[in-house]
Amino acid sequence: MSQVETRITAEPIDNQRCKFVVSVPVFAGGVRRFSGAADAKGSPLAEAIFATPGLGATELIVSGNIVTVVKQNATPWQALGKAVGSAIRTALAADVPAVTPATRPATVDSPAVNDDALYEQVAKVFDEQVNPMVARHGGKVELIDVQDAVVMLRMGGGCQGCGMADVTLRQGIEGMLAQFVPAVRGIVDITDHTSGSNPYFQASKK
Amino acid sequence: MTPRLLLLLPTTTYRATAFVEAARQLGVELTVASERPSTMQATNPAGLVTLDFREPSRAAETVREFAKQNPITGVVGVDDDTAIVAAAIAERLHLKGNPIHAADAARDKHRQRELLAGSGVPVPHFELHMVAEDPERVARAVRYPCVLKPLRLSASRGVIRADNAKGFVAAHARLKAIVGEPDAGYLVEEFIPGYEVALEGLVVNRRLHVLAIFDKPDPLDGPFFEETIYVTPSMVPAALQKSIVECTERAVRALGITEGPIHAELRYNERGPWLIELAARPIGGRCSAVLRFGDTGISLEEIILRNALGMPIPSLEREPGAAGVMMIPIPGAGRLREVRGVAEAKAMPLVEDVQITAHPGEQLVPFPEGSRYPGFIFARGAQPGVVEAALRQAHARLQFVLDPV
Repeated sequence: MSQVETRITAEPIDNQRCKFVVSVPVFAGGVRRFSGAADAKGSPLAEAIFATPGLGATELIVSGNIVTVVKQNATPWQALGKAVGSAIRTALAADVPAVTPATRPATVDSPAVNDDALYEQVAKVFDEQVNPMVARHGGKVELIDVQDAVVMLRMGGGCQGCGMADVTLRQGIEGMLAQFVPAVRGIVDITDHTSGSNPYFQASKK
Repeated sequence: MTPRLLLLLPTTTYRATAFVEAARQLGVELTVASERPSTMQATNPAGLVTLDFREPSRAAETVREFAKQNPITGVVGVDDDTAIVAAAIAERLHLKGNPIHAADAARDKHRQRELLAGSGVPVPHFELHMVAEDPERVARAVRYPCVLKPLRLSASRGVIRADNAKGFVAAHARLKAIVGEPDAGYLVEEFIPGYEVALEGLVVNRRLHVLAIFDKPDPLDGPFFEETIYVTPSMVPAALQKSIVECTERAVRALGITEGPIHAELRYNERGPWLIELAARPIGGRCSAVLRFGDTGISLEEIILRNALGMPIPSLEREPGAAGVMMIPIPGAGRLREVRGVAEAKAMPLVEDVQITAHPGEQLVPFPEGSRYPGFIFARGAQPGVVEAALRQAHARLQFVLDPV
């Protein structure tokens, strides 16, 4: 893969989280979450990002063409984005897969955090409650995976690129999961909102 | 008890994520109010409410009832309209905020001109006319060059310069179509030649704190007034910056603004600074991303929320160095098929980000009928000049492919 063919767009979500949208697939095997450098071994892209100087990455989620990086330091993404982009490009240019599938067993780390069970519970909430609601605005929310009690989801239809998507996520979905699946520790939106072609609410005002 | 913030977010705002995330950073309880209901409102009645932003008094009463069950610590509006609603709510609930008359004056361009002129703040000569008036008659009476300006539109939408009577009549026809209400008013004001700057500030207990002065290096001479580049710190001589700040302080006092963000646009020429607009809201679009404050780089949104909630503000000092943003000019009329060169633009030195906010298939409408920028470019560097150059170089890499509508 040629480096010049790879386009990467950084979409900071907040000062802790930034989504990097890559023009080529990064990981076609579903979603992979890395909770730290030790977890990244064997996945060159994750290893490179956790090793990026000054980044202080604490979590990484890779799905399709989206790489979501979570950090704890105060340095703004504008100052770090190019280094992350460079790490992604370098990993994609190598001859080995940038991200390898998780090797962890399907069993849980502890009885308190059973991702498979959580997945079922979250899927039920999405199917029976969230999606019927967002469908009124032509939207849909897809449950991608649950890893370490962190829910990864993708928004589509009217939700993709919607100016109020973050409100739906934080004031709606997050609250519902807190109520019905309290073991969920967090939500990561891996949507490429720039590609939304029919957002329900479109930003237009100054 | 954890403070609760009421955030007034129009569904068409660019600012939802920035403000919601700032609230999360502060760890406060958040209630988001919009003018149209969220599909999930029933699931979180304390966190999602619907308010009629066109009726500030009614909205304030709705919030007063709501607050009986969910006490509110602070209220923030994010744009011109919600600034008035926030003022009404603040007054009704005795929260920190602007008086309604001040927010209203900042919103209404004619009322604003009247108050400023009456207080001796330098403003362009202005006249109020009705859209329904015979434009040829008005055109014969005004002085040229002049600027026609709708009273309540933002982002320079509908603002048109006319250099003679024929141009005035043509401009009026376009303005009339844009405003769409024959009984609406519009301003005809003197065109002030000169260099334009923007001042971003926070008013705390009637005192203006200057957060940044932006230069606008591209001339804004019309016939339309599409903004492009903002760069800070300003390269305007210090003495002139002082007079710009003093002019803005006088305007803040004249309008009666007591709390919260302000965004002022001024021109200066050999006669000194002129107040063109002052809004009781922060800088628009996604431009606030260029502003960071203090050692930890806190956002403008966090500062605004902290002030509204009465929380300590760690710093109002902008970070060292220069920063700039380009509101990408609307490339023409048509339906957006794709944007090429984004990666190349992002790879330019000093460029930190290129955000394309127009979506594929979106119809782009040039000024003055349109006002939605297709995206934003951000850059940061040691000096304003190199930042401006970086923004221009990045913009030159972008190619918008449009299909005819």
